Amino acid sequence: MSAAGVSKDLHARIYAETEWSLSHKLRHAAQSVVGRAYPRIFGMSREPSWLFFDLVFPTLGMCSFVFLLRSRGADEAWISATILASALLTFWTSVIWMMAGQFRWERDSGNMTLYITAPVGLGSIALGMAVGGAVGMAFRAGIIILGGSLLFGAQYEIREPLLLALTMLLGIAAMNALGVCLAAVFLVSGREADHLGDLLNEPMQLLGGLFAPVRSLGIFGLLAIGILPLAPAADAMRQLALPQLAATGLLPVPVELGILAVMFVVFSLLSHASLAYIERRGRADGKLLTRAD
Amino acid sequence: MQMESCSPVQIDLTSRTSRPFGPLRGNAADAARSLIASARLAWAIEGNWAEPFFLLVYLIIRPLAFLGLFLAVLSIGGALNPASIGFVVVGQAIFQIVGAAMQGPTHALLDDRERYRTIRYIFATPSSLLPVSIGRALVKALIAAISAVIVIGVGALIGMPMRAGGPDLPLLLVVMTLGPASIVGLGVALGAVCVQLRNDAWGYPQAVAGSVFLLCGAIFPLDTLPRALQLIGAALPMTWWIEGVRRALLGTASPGLLGELSTPLLLLVLTVGTVLITLAAPRLFRIGIDRAREKGFLDRSTAS
Repeated sequence: MSAAGVSKDLHARIYAETEWSLSHKLRHAAQSVVGRAYPRIFGMSREPSWLFFDLVFPTLGMCSFVFLLRSRGADEAWISATILASALLTFWTSVIWMMAGQFRWERDSGNMTLYITAPVGLGSIALGMAVGGAVGMAFRAGIIILGGSLLFGAQYEIREPLLLALTMLLGIAAMNALGVCLAAVFLVSGREADHLGDLLNEPMQLLGGLFAPVRSLGIFGLLAIGILPLAPAADAMRQLALPQLAATGLLPVPVELGILAVMFVVFSLLSHASLAYIERRGRADGKLLTRAD
Repeated sequence: MQMESCSPVQIDLTSRTSRPFGPLRGNAADAARSLIASARLAWAIEGNWAEPFFLLVYLIIRPLAFLGLFLAVLSIGGALNPASIGFVVVGQAIFQIVGAAMQGPTHALLDDRERYRTIRYIFATPSSLLPVSIGRALVKALIAAISAVIVIGVGALIGMPMRAGGPDLPLLLVVMTLGPASIVGLGVALGAVCVQLRNDAWGYPQAVAGSVFLLCGAIFPLDTLPRALQLIGAALPMTWWIEGVRRALLGTASPGLLGELSTPLLLLVLTVGTVLITLAAPRLFRIGIDRAREKGFLDRSTAS
């Protein structure tokens, strides 16, 4: 066979292996998502200590707030609201550390090299992390609500379960989309990343109106409800699960659902662009796989 | 030079007490040098990750957000009164130090083992691991103390009623000496336990600190807890420390059973607790580190 023939065959083979059809691309992306989600969902059966820590921190915080409310003689509905907020907090915490901080952690522990060399886009991996994280956290959130209800006698009056489920779904989706945007920020951060994660914790719980109504924050509450998915999600869920506290809501539930949907779209587009930018810059600067410390 | 004139040093490596490479060795001057060196290192780790301005912003924002969170929840139960604000502000401010000092030794040990992988080199130097761990914890506590001062300052601005005539400085000095000593002691003992662990060793100090936060009456009176938890809370030195600081700064005792005790009795309990912990902690640390060395736990990386 001539050299030109070999070259032509090789070219055709490379083309066939790399130019995938749309259906092939989608199937491959779906496999990547499932592959990355799998350890998040089933990993806890191999590492029960993860489940313990995922439950113990929100539970301790929940108990502190419940006892604080009881020491002030607050309405029992607020205790139910606190338990609901603690369940929502598990999703937010996972967004901070298991989504925003994950790529940075993978880089420092050496796994990022595998992601970059594998024929998988960072977007598929991020989506897999989000899906797996959300399913895993839903299980934890269920345990928190059950445990909180048994411990403190919390009661809920859910008149529109589908609307509540939609609120949760949109809230979790918007939070995770924001988490992917933040992942790019964490990836370019050095040792600031840990502190950045801390700053996204308690300050965002306050701004997001997680344990106290966002309405009480005045102008900051309005600002938060426009940029922080935690705020409309917490406010809408409180109105839907505890009608007696509906008057403390900042906006009507349909409006908050609309805000969450817009946030999901905007953060998804931003996250796609930011991941691509960071990957491109990281490769060019040779810093994508460089440990921060 | 005649080799015969040099007498070789006899070291019995089989005896634990005479082992020259243990976590406790050398004299007080050696320990002081190790402590100062590790404190300087800790400041380099904790303090130079950002420009001083950003560090200050970080030190301000997080504790104030925490305080805002508690005050927002407190306001759900009705209008805030100055006494309630004072109770929560002081408790939350002092607990910043508790959390940092309790987590400090464990994080120092794990950082050196997992992240910087330098713990083996500490054993190869004349330094002792105990003062190295204490030095790292003290700097973390000091940085947290800056946040605590900021929180108390903001509390005073928003209406926290301070003691008439200013803080009770002698009482404040005594409790601010005893309290941190007991917490660092507990942190050291916790570090020796956590270094044995493979999975999630980083999380245990935070879980312990979170439990202590719930039990020590930092943001609500101890009487609010169920009886069994009240007893556990009363056994914690942090409970007495925070109450002592409240009395020194606010001039009033906490509501409930703890408030009925006299200040001398409070100081006696805090002193006894601190002495016991200070005596026990180095021994527990030595046992824990010796076991970790024998099992090979000091030289492993768990990628956690």
